[in-house]
Amino acid sequence: MSSTTTVNRSAATTEAPWVRWLLTGLALLFIALFLIIPLVSVFFEALRQGWGLFAASFTDPDALAAIKLTLITAAIAVPLNLVFGVAAAWAIARFRFKGRSVLTTLIDLPFAVSPVVAGLIYVLLFGAQGWFGPWLAEHDIKIIFAIPGIVLATVFVTFPFVARELIPLMEAQGSDEEHAALVLGASGWQTFWRITLPNIKWGLLYGVILANARAMGEFGAVSVVSGHIRGMTNTIPLHVEILYNEYNFVGAFACASLLALLALVTLAVKSFIEWRSARLAEEDRRHATEE
Amino acid sequence: MAFKQNSVLPGFGLSLGYSIFYLSLIVLLPLAALITKTFDLDWAHFWSAVSEPRVVATYKVTFGASFLAALINLVTGLLIAWVLVRYSFPGKRLIDALVDLPFALPTAVAGIALATLYAPNGWIGQWFAAGTPIGNLFGPEGLPLAFQPIGIVIALTFVTLPFVVRTVQPVLADIEQELEEAASSLGASRWQIFRLVILPTLLPALLTGFSLAFARAIGEYGSVIFIAGNMPFKSEITPLMIISKLEQYDYAGATAIAVVMLLVSFVLLLAINGLQWWSARRLGRN
Amino acid sequence: MSIDIRNISKRFGNFVALDNINLDVASGELLALLGPSGCGKTTLLRIIAGLETADAGQILFHGEDTTAKHVSERQVGFVFQHYALFRHMTVFENVAFGLRVRPKETRPSETEIKRKVHELLELVQLDWLADRYPAQLSGGQRQRIALARALAVEPKVLLLDEPFGALDTKVRKELRRWLRRLHDEVHLTSIFVTHDQEEALEVADRVVVLNKGHIEQVGTPEEVYDTPASPFVYQFLGDVNLFHSRVHEGWAEVGKGRIPAPDAPDAPAIIYVRPHEIDLSRVASGDALHGEINHIRILGATIRLEVDVEGHDAVEVELSRERYSEGGWKVGETVFLTPRTVQVYSEPQ
Repeated sequence: MSSTTTVNRSAATTEAPWVRWLLTGLALLFIALFLIIPLVSVFFEALRQGWGLFAASFTDPDALAAIKLTLITAAIAVPLNLVFGVAAAWAIARFRFKGRSVLTTLIDLPFAVSPVVAGLIYVLLFGAQGWFGPWLAEHDIKIIFAIPGIVLATVFVTFPFVARELIPLMEAQGSDEEHAALVLGASGWQTFWRITLPNIKWGLLYGVILANARAMGEFGAVSVVSGHIRGMTNTIPLHVEILYNEYNFVGAFACASLLALLALVTLAVKSFIEWRSARLAEEDRRHATEE
Repeated sequence: MAFKQNSVLPGFGLSLGYSIFYLSLIVLLPLAALITKTFDLDWAHFWSAVSEPRVVATYKVTFGASFLAALINLVTGLLIAWVLVRYSFPGKRLIDALVDLPFALPTAVAGIALATLYAPNGWIGQWFAAGTPIGNLFGPEGLPLAFQPIGIVIALTFVTLPFVVRTVQPVLADIEQELEEAASSLGASRWQIFRLVILPTLLPALLTGFSLAFARAIGEYGSVIFIAGNMPFKSEITPLMIISKLEQYDYAGATAIAVVMLLVSFVLLLAINGLQWWSARRLGRN
Repeated sequence: MSIDIRNISKRFGNFVALDNINLDVASGELLALLGPSGCGKTTLLRIIAGLETADAGQILFHGEDTTAKHVSERQVGFVFQHYALFRHMTVFENVAFGLRVRPKETRPSETEIKRKVHELLELVQLDWLADRYPAQLSGGQRQRIALARALAVEPKVLLLDEPFGALDTKVRKELRRWLRRLHDEVHLTSIFVTHDQEEALEVADRVVVLNKGHIEQVGTPEEVYDTPASPFVYQFLGDVNLFHSRVHEGWAEVGKGRIPAPDAPDAPAIIYVRPHEIDLSRVASGDALHGEINHIRILGATIRLEVDVEGHDAVEVELSRERYSEGGWKVGETVFLTPRTVQVYSEPQ
């Protein structure tokens, strides 16, 4: 850090230089201890014994199975929540109806529930002792300790992401453009595909990328419903746990580094989307006040 | 008033119908199953399941550690938000983006990384081990961080780090410079301006961030179990209790504890909604 | 195409936005809906377009009931207050949108669309902006593109919601004249909403003054300005002096002077006089009001004098610069005021 200066502030509304140095230093120290060092350590531990062992961690069939299962889970859970998110945002941001705020609160509910409880509720529904347990056993359908349970738990924990991103966005945009399209003779679907969807696509991507990161990284909820069967019902995070508990630190951190990389990509895309929308809003303001 | 106000936009029935159907299927029905399952237990069994001494110890650990972690983040979150909004320094954009890391990094990854770092032989833990200058300050044993209750606080601090920063940041950025200039022209010192003008404005956001962090910390599992050591009566958290009951096929016990956690979650969710409503009103929005 | 508005009523909760509105708009007319905010003018415009549904009443286009017709079938052109340009489309695509969403059978060919869009962009004098995005345009340009887009579907009716509301004064004045010229060229039945009386008087063929959900007056700009039907219209259309008095045998007394009120009944009344319709003199005539000049303010081309009138509050008098210098008026002078035109409204008991 070479210098700390203030952002366009008058002398009366900022602190003495030494205070600025001290506060910035403290903030950066905390961020280094709690964010940067842990992140770096994941890659460091993964490569501690060299690239050979690191690469070998991914040729292990159990690791490959875990990667495959993680991809399948996200590929099902994310699109399901995407469709829901768009439908919910359309209903909530475009119409005024009774119970609207209750619905908005209920959508957030999965964020408030502990992941472990999220896993448990599906065990109580579909497990051997659950509501549908006997019926499922009779028809030889396995949900708990199998892939469907993992997908369900993942859908639950990633449920609010897309809707939460879209509702405020669509409310801020208002429905003038959709009204304009209707006046110009467009049908409902034409309006949706040609006006609404292009306008929300970046917000949609934002929600999807966050939901995807959570879907691939979920541990608690999946841990409850998975049964931890190697090569069968282990996702990458569960595989990391097993390797770590077996003191195979390189293997654990190698798989963990894959997830850390995903997190970094997620943050990069997120920052890009935020930067882009801020720049566009600025451009719009600048031109509107011209002349 | 009619159920719905008139609108020329189509698709209300379809979108609302599908939303409610999907919400019921994924969220409401399973949660209802949890609630009804507790009715299988009579009150005495329910009470003994949730008031078992080992379980009560986990409440203390979970709530205590969550409270401490949220408190740490209340202070550092304000500090980080302040520095990000008010000052500029090289790499600021990168740091700003990195604040969201705990939201993006899977909890299990955070868990093993923190456990390794804060272990007595880890990069950070070694500075606090027995015989080191810092460690000696805490006595002959040093200050063990991992596999102790303090390790839980560390993990929860990491996981909930973004909440206060992200709720305070926009409010802080919205405070007009004129407000501070006015206070300054009236003779207030910098510290008085912070205490009397800025802090009251930030209060609703700070409280909201604190409760969000607290609520998240209570339910957290993945990042904690690796660093906690999971010693009964000492460093076991409540979600772990649910898992261990399940592993013993004690579904009733697991359900009872889960219901307690769910109730706490609901109360916190209501409190947070109330806070956000209050803060929106204070800021004159809506 | 003519528009008949019959018995339209609309409420939002307990708030009555429109109360039994009846109005005929002639074919090819440019009509202004004028009123303060909350008077229901925008709601009426949106009901005509089909963007809102009335609680009661009918909208007839050329004698045909459109109440049941969806907005997308009404063939109206609508210009939104904040333009509602599609931000992800270029100017060209914005204007072409209404043609592209037509069903296959009636959709023009690509070359036809291209020709039409460029023709419209030339009409609004912005052909050179075809490849820009809305965010890259100034406010005035966005306004004109919104108009071109509305015209692309060859609407039978053009509806404009506060078309100049978001623009600064200079651009506003230019666009006002331009819209009037455009209307004289295309002769499309047009209705625009405004809260600015100057805008309504300058641009429209006829002005509808709305207040609290009902129509106060309909008439040409001259009619509503010169013979306002109600105190509200009088006050809304310009500065005004009010005299509270009592009419007795055709005269209303104010201090030592009196104002003629030939047709008014003997009752308490409010007399309205516009500041520029008062003559000043140093010579007392029989009926003139007595006063003393208190303040003189120079407002560019006109001069405003504040005169303390005996038996009344201060009265504002506006003089042209020439008449002001001819008179050589000074603060503190005693003067006599004679209103040239007055409106007398009996005071509600």
